[in-house]
Amino acid sequence: MMNRHIFRTGWKKGTMLALTLTFGLAVAGCGTATTSKDEAQTTGSAGQAEAASTDQKLVVYSAGPDGLAKKLVAGYEAQSGVKVELFQGTTGKILARMEAEKTNPVADVVVLASLPSVQGLKKEGLTLPYPDAKNADKLNPDWSDKEGNYFSTSASALGIAYNTKLVKTPPTSWADLAKPEYKDQVNIPDPSLSGSALDFMTGYLSAKGDGGWTLFEQYKANGVAMAGANQEALDPVITGAKGVVVAAVDYMTYKAKAKGEPIDIVYPTEGTVISPRPAAILKSTQHEQNAKAFIDYLLSEEAQKLVADASLLPGRTDVKADKRANLDEIPLLKTNWEWMGEHGSDVTEKFTQMFK
Amino acid sequence: MGGLSVKHIRAWCLTLALIALLFLIVMPLLQIFIQSVYVDEKFQWDAPFRTLAASPFAGVLFSSIWLGICVIAGTTVLALPLAWIMSNTRLAHWRWLDVVLLIPFMTPPYIGSMGWILFMQKNGYLEQLFPNLHFLTPSFFSLGGMVMIMSLHLFPFLYLLLRGALVRIGGSLEEAGAVMGGGFLYRFRRIILPLLLSAYGMGALLIFVKTIAEFGTPATFGRRIGYEVMTSEIHKYISSWPIDFGKATSMASVLLTACLLMWYAQSVINRKFTYRLVGGKGSRPSRLRISGWTTGLSVAFILLLLIASIGIPYFSILSASTMKLRGMGLAWDNLTLDSYKELLSWGSESMEALLNSVFLSLGASTLAVVLGTWFALVIGGSRTRIQRTVDAFSLLPNTVPGIVMVVGLILWWNSPWMPIPLYNTYGMVILTYVILFVPYTVQYVKSAFTQVDTGLFQAGQVFGGRPSYIFRRIVLPLIVPGMLAGWMMTFTIASRELVGSLLILPPSVQTSATYIFAQFEQGQVSLGMAMAVISVGMTTLLLILIESLNSQRKWK
Repeated sequence: MMNRHIFRTGWKKGTMLALTLTFGLAVAGCGTATTSKDEAQTTGSAGQAEAASTDQKLVVYSAGPDGLAKKLVAGYEAQSGVKVELFQGTTGKILARMEAEKTNPVADVVVLASLPSVQGLKKEGLTLPYPDAKNADKLNPDWSDKEGNYFSTSASALGIAYNTKLVKTPPTSWADLAKPEYKDQVNIPDPSLSGSALDFMTGYLSAKGDGGWTLFEQYKANGVAMAGANQEALDPVITGAKGVVVAAVDYMTYKAKAKGEPIDIVYPTEGTVISPRPAAILKSTQHEQNAKAFIDYLLSEEAQKLVADASLLPGRTDVKADKRANLDEIPLLKTNWEWMGEHGSDVTEKFTQMFK
Repeated sequence: MGGLSVKHIRAWCLTLALIALLFLIVMPLLQIFIQSVYVDEKFQWDAPFRTLAASPFAGVLFSSIWLGICVIAGTTVLALPLAWIMSNTRLAHWRWLDVVLLIPFMTPPYIGSMGWILFMQKNGYLEQLFPNLHFLTPSFFSLGGMVMIMSLHLFPFLYLLLRGALVRIGGSLEEAGAVMGGGFLYRFRRIILPLLLSAYGMGALLIFVKTIAEFGTPATFGRRIGYEVMTSEIHKYISSWPIDFGKATSMASVLLTACLLMWYAQSVINRKFTYRLVGGKGSRPSRLRISGWTTGLSVAFILLLLIASIGIPYFSILSASTMKLRGMGLAWDNLTLDSYKELLSWGSESMEALLNSVFLSLGASTLAVVLGTWFALVIGGSRTRIQRTVDAFSLLPNTVPGIVMVVGLILWWNSPWMPIPLYNTYGMVILTYVILFVPYTVQYVKSAFTQVDTGLFQAGQVFGGRPSYIFRRIVLPLIVPGMLAGWMMTFTIASRELVGSLLILPPSVQTSATYIFAQFEQGQVSLGMAMAVISVGMTTLLLILIESLNSQRKWK
């Protein structure tokens, strides 16, 4: 017994040392790889103490669409010479990352695709007010914070997207989709995954009162299927597996249509909901001047044109979009954002239970 | 070498491994538990229990476990006959099959599921090719379909373990049984089955754990059929407003407990049924199990398996990647290679993502093999309690849903007092991959090592071999296949890892997996699918290269 131990441990000793050494070196290797970031950070905080001009960094967490976020960052970089680190994800991914980084925040500016979540950030005291943002007075006042905690620099509208090969006469009202001809034909995005879908549901309910639930009950009875986030709900309609998406984000539909896919969108006559996409500076920012300059850039005419080019609604009322329906062409429901923010989680729960 | 110093060294090695594991794996997970009992910055020990009582949790847990059991059954049906064929028939010479059979496993689960969905859905490819088969659609979109997809993804795993065990059993034991008059069924029941049980137990456990920790298929296919499991529920709490780590971590701890119980059951089986099989005498395959008609049947089985596990999903993936307009369906004039051109243009974002994936996975797999081998050797036969603790700790990442482990890692490495500034660097990504996938190397090396008979070491010692010589000439050659398997596995999985990458990559950095995911999110399905084809193709080529180098060395 002892014999075995001796030689076993004997050879093990040698290997173990070698392995430990290798591991140690590897960790050290990872360590050296990080120095550039350290330097960047030190210069960052030092720069803040002296003058803003030496601070050449900004970290932005942005929800899609992908191409637009990159263009905006490139535009800002070209104008300011600041190097932007961009993290892209859905609103949920960004919030999860922020939560995980709570004790040691990294992001300076967040751009989300849902107003209630940024209202939540404000309530928790995580946002930095910037009341002097340039051109903020030209923004749609309903979508942004009066104290300058967040600025909705773009928005999407919710509509009914349909496959033009399968649906010849498009529906004109939300209630149409409860009709027998749409039985098992309709997708609706999951409000726990799609902030804009939730905006539609809470917006519709805030306008119609509790009676609004009747519509969703009829939907359920007509075989409407809850299907992932926005793109996941739209894809089966593009390929023809389903005919219609209700509460579809309009810019995704416009984009697919521009490519030539057999798809189009209508806004029901009784009105729909707009889903603003707010940008906010985080209180924990280490690059305050750059963050403010970035917000100014998002509100500039140049950036607002980029927004319009991406088929989104510009946040500024004086910039028009030519590739899509403008705000004045979309019938709106009388929504109450305060109510919507407060009842988001209840509505999500009730809705997802109903459509399970 | 005195007895005392040996004991010291032994203890020292174990302690060091334990410390490394504590620092790398246990502490990050503890952060999660801490988070789950601190609600609104107040300590509330009962918070997890309240969460569980308030959520529709029992049903979801049951769904997860039921899915795991079904997938074990599914993979067994696929892997056991295959392992038998590949260790006993002439087809065993088809070494290329081993590499080909890794393709299903290298295909990211959410892409494989997407492939199946595109093929089977209404107006899908199947219906476009064979309009009469549309009646299959409803029965496919069910739990049965989900089990099938997941089994087809995971079976190579079980197959590799089972084939390894069957090859090690060799022919002589069975021939002995035959000489003594045992029939085929008797030999199977009394000789092969007991010898196979430990490998099967380990494989089945891993399959179970992989299944209930899997996120990709439930997120794509499960959502379609309304089948919710623990991971999709955890993901919901962790990625949609309002974020609730407390709820997510409470659920994760239950999942963890379930997996640890399974692990315990497996280790009991393992200890009872492990035999020293690799002795001084060489082994050769049994000639008893081969007869004429089995070959034909085997070829048919393999063919069907290849069609289902690779043919169908890759038909969909390739079609989707070459389609001009997805709304137009399968048609020759709807064909284009534009996506590939866009992807492979030098200096493009996609190329950068691809290169990132390759370098990150290379770094991670190499580091993981070093660490994993160290742990596996320290664990040895897991005789002492500390060895078993090391064993349990090193397997933890395989028993926790990836997303939970990753959140733990972020909390740990980004805490304000952490002196090593690893967070938000490439080093962090490599470390995350290493931690997520180190259990593979541990498993493979352990499996090779525990079946080596100590008689071999004693023989080496009798002939005067020094410990380092014995290690180099006896142990190392025997565990190298395990190390290589671990390296390959880590490389392939790391290069397609999604959930961790989504959360942990530094801003402005993408890997092929996050690139694919982003394309799907943005509605650029063709680009995403093209990237999937390229990254899976690349890893397959690499594996073929390794395999051919390996077999050359073996035969010369």
